[in-house]
Amino acid sequence: MKISSKKGLAILLVALVTSFALAGSAPAKAREFTFSMGYEVPGLDPQKANSIPSMVIAIHVLEGLVRVHDGKVLPGMAESWEISPDGLVYTFHLRDAKWSDGKPVTAYDFEYSLRRLLDPATAAEYAFAAYGIVNGKAFNKGEITDPKLIGAKALDEKTFEIRLEEPMDYLLGYLQLMCFLPSRQDVIEKEKDAFATTADRMVYNGPFTLKEWKLEQVMVLEKNPLYWDSETVQLDRVTIHQVYEQNTALSLYESGEIDMVDIPANLYANYAATGKAQVSLTGADDWIKVNVRPNPEKPWLADKDFRKALAWAIDRGEYLKIATKGLYIPNLRYVLPMVAGVEKHYAEEYPLEFYTEKADPEKARAHLKTAMERLAIDDAGKISVTYLIQDQEECRLMAEALQDQIQRTLGIKFNVQLVTRKQRYLMEGQADYDLVYSGWGPDFDDPLTYVEIWGSDVSHNTSGWGNKTFDELVASSRRETDHRKRLDLLFEAEKILLEEAPMIPLQLRRRAWMTQPGVKGIVRPFVGADLDFRFATVDQ
Amino acid sequence: MARYILKRLLISVITVWLLVTVVFILVRLLPGDPFSSDKLTPDIRANLEAYYGFDQPLHLQYLRYIGNLLRGDLGFSIKYQNMPVGKVIADSFPYSADLGIRTILFASLVGIGLGVVAALNRGRPLEYLCIFIAIAGISLPDFITGSLLQYFFGLKLGWFPVALWRSFRHTVLPTLALSFYTLALVSRIMRTSMLEVTGQDYVRTARAKGLPTFKIVWRHQIRNAILPVVTVLGPITAAILTGTFVIESIYAIPGMGKFYVLGVQNLDYTIILGLTAFYGIFLIAANFIVDILYGLIDPRITLADGRRR
Repeated sequence: MKISSKKGLAILLVALVTSFALAGSAPAKAREFTFSMGYEVPGLDPQKANSIPSMVIAIHVLEGLVRVHDGKVLPGMAESWEISPDGLVYTFHLRDAKWSDGKPVTAYDFEYSLRRLLDPATAAEYAFAAYGIVNGKAFNKGEITDPKLIGAKALDEKTFEIRLEEPMDYLLGYLQLMCFLPSRQDVIEKEKDAFATTADRMVYNGPFTLKEWKLEQVMVLEKNPLYWDSETVQLDRVTIHQVYEQNTALSLYESGEIDMVDIPANLYANYAATGKAQVSLTGADDWIKVNVRPNPEKPWLADKDFRKALAWAIDRGEYLKIATKGLYIPNLRYVLPMVAGVEKHYAEEYPLEFYTEKADPEKARAHLKTAMERLAIDDAGKISVTYLIQDQEECRLMAEALQDQIQRTLGIKFNVQLVTRKQRYLMEGQADYDLVYSGWGPDFDDPLTYVEIWGSDVSHNTSGWGNKTFDELVASSRRETDHRKRLDLLFEAEKILLEEAPMIPLQLRRRAWMTQPGVKGIVRPFVGADLDFRFATVDQ
Repeated sequence: MARYILKRLLISVITVWLLVTVVFILVRLLPGDPFSSDKLTPDIRANLEAYYGFDQPLHLQYLRYIGNLLRGDLGFSIKYQNMPVGKVIADSFPYSADLGIRTILFASLVGIGLGVVAALNRGRPLEYLCIFIAIAGISLPDFITGSLLQYFFGLKLGWFPVALWRSFRHTVLPTLALSFYTLALVSRIMRTSMLEVTGQDYVRTARAKGLPTFKIVWRHQIRNAILPVVTVLGPITAAILTGTFVIESIYAIPGMGKFYVLGVQNLDYTIILGLTAFYGIFLIAANFIVDILYGLIDPRITLADGRRR
């Protein structure tokens, strides 16, 4: 068929007019949110997962008994709950909610998931998170084999009960962890080893469903129409590109391809100057862990005053400016100040500035002098320590700055030993170090998550430091049902830790990111998933 | 020919077996292990070791691995829960291969073209231009080329997307960036080889009997000069198809290189072993094909030993 140019033009015009008319009457454009993530998402099996990036995806496609948003506990699959007066029994009442395949979410799903988490055959890395549940630890260690003995039971379809060994008044917030999110028995038994390896090999009960998942490439989330609270979900589609090269991610952001991007520390200052950067604490708290075991070659490591000399010789403000352009901030105590207190932040209720932001060379040298007199050492030049770090640009920059500050102030020899990340874990675990760059990210919003790891029988505490009073304070805090009294005990424990100095506080990590104009409601929590866009909105 | 292929196959199998064995031992010698992390307790480590069979003696683990390998089963990744290594390769290698094939085609065609143009224009400005391109290509590392192309043609001019792998337009910059080195190498080899051939008797004979220049260049010079290029294309093909990590990471292309690098960082034993075996087989196959191609291109080469045409 031959169409004259005039006729062609007419057809084109009609088509154009029609398309405009259609566009006017069609429903609003899908609200899409796209961002890049520079970390691996190693898996989405809730019980086996072990990483924060996995959890970021998980909290958007799965929902636990409760939701935690912006530090507040909100009802989730459970619409209400009761706590027994002794704080040991939690009874959850589930709402009418559906999985993405239309089946109802029941208390049996939660019972199955918790038993699966604790089953040694699952080999779940986060099984320890459920050790506070009655018989949880014994079952995971294989000491008992009957799952019915675990203190997590479905009383009926809609009622779920958790029995605890000790009161954990932070339990509700704790339940946001990925390992407590529900899995469904029939799906896992059908998919077996292939469970949660592709988007269609799992079921969802969260605000979104996973539509597409290409390992280490892209994940596409779509609004879940069956979600009980789907009216509050404002995004129709979320695309997550896994981009490892930070400069590439920034270029994608600059070219408008993505709506949100993380800013690397070395560029933080530039973006902060333009007012575009947003910052928040990551929850990671870093310190130098000292091996305080008796060491005939380096007796000073076991000396409290020597360790304090190191601590006072460090100018936290200065080295953080050099190494992180001010993105990380000095920590002058041990516990993350922003962690929850009784009503306000912990640090507001229990203020403490044990160290100062600037170094105090006088104090540092005085402590060194005391230590040297006690050890009968006349020349500081004879003292040497080795600082173990993992071979990463950021760690190296910090270590070099510390080395300079400490050697300059104290005149001792401060060596830096670089190893791979895995080797650092190995050496730290085997106590094969003088000083090691260590730290902790919180599992729940309470000072206990930081304080408990210094117990003398805790595997993370490889320093060789143990203190009876400290252990007793932590143990009695676990039995305490009064929130304020419990935190009083933990505060006492924190002060002992700082006074004894098996660790030297360094910094609190922060992350910087930016969003395109029109993106609102993004929350970056410091506990659990570090990104929450469940309630986010984008302008059309 | 059949005997030659059989012999080569046998050698290839032994090579792959040796490779896997050496890597199996080496990864176990690396300090640390796949599980070590900040939060791991001894009880949970014991559960994990039992789950992955690491509580067995090493030689049993090795025999089991080789047994599975013979059945084509590369096992499960340790870092990526429940993810079979075979699936990781199947999902990621097509991207590396796609980028690699585009690069090899582009680089060898343009490289050969430049080499021929340079050789035919000896001493003229056109030759210097070709030589300049060749030197630039060989001297500039691909992360520089990649970043520059991305910055100017992607971000500043907006002609092409800055990253990701979705349409033809997305493939242009990474292909150019990855081609540059190979293109330069091929053009240099081609130029030298063309110049060598130009002085040969048979070229002079062809010219003497009055053949048109085009025919001399096409039939007598290029066909003879191309052999060294084919020689390097074997290893180059393997290197490009497997070693595109830098360009893949600059352009956020979900290829296989990322898994190898992350595998080593995470000490994901099965990923490291699986990808190494895959790379090994791939490299051996590439060289094998090149050897056979020789025979097709150059009638002077015969593959079966002891027999001459």
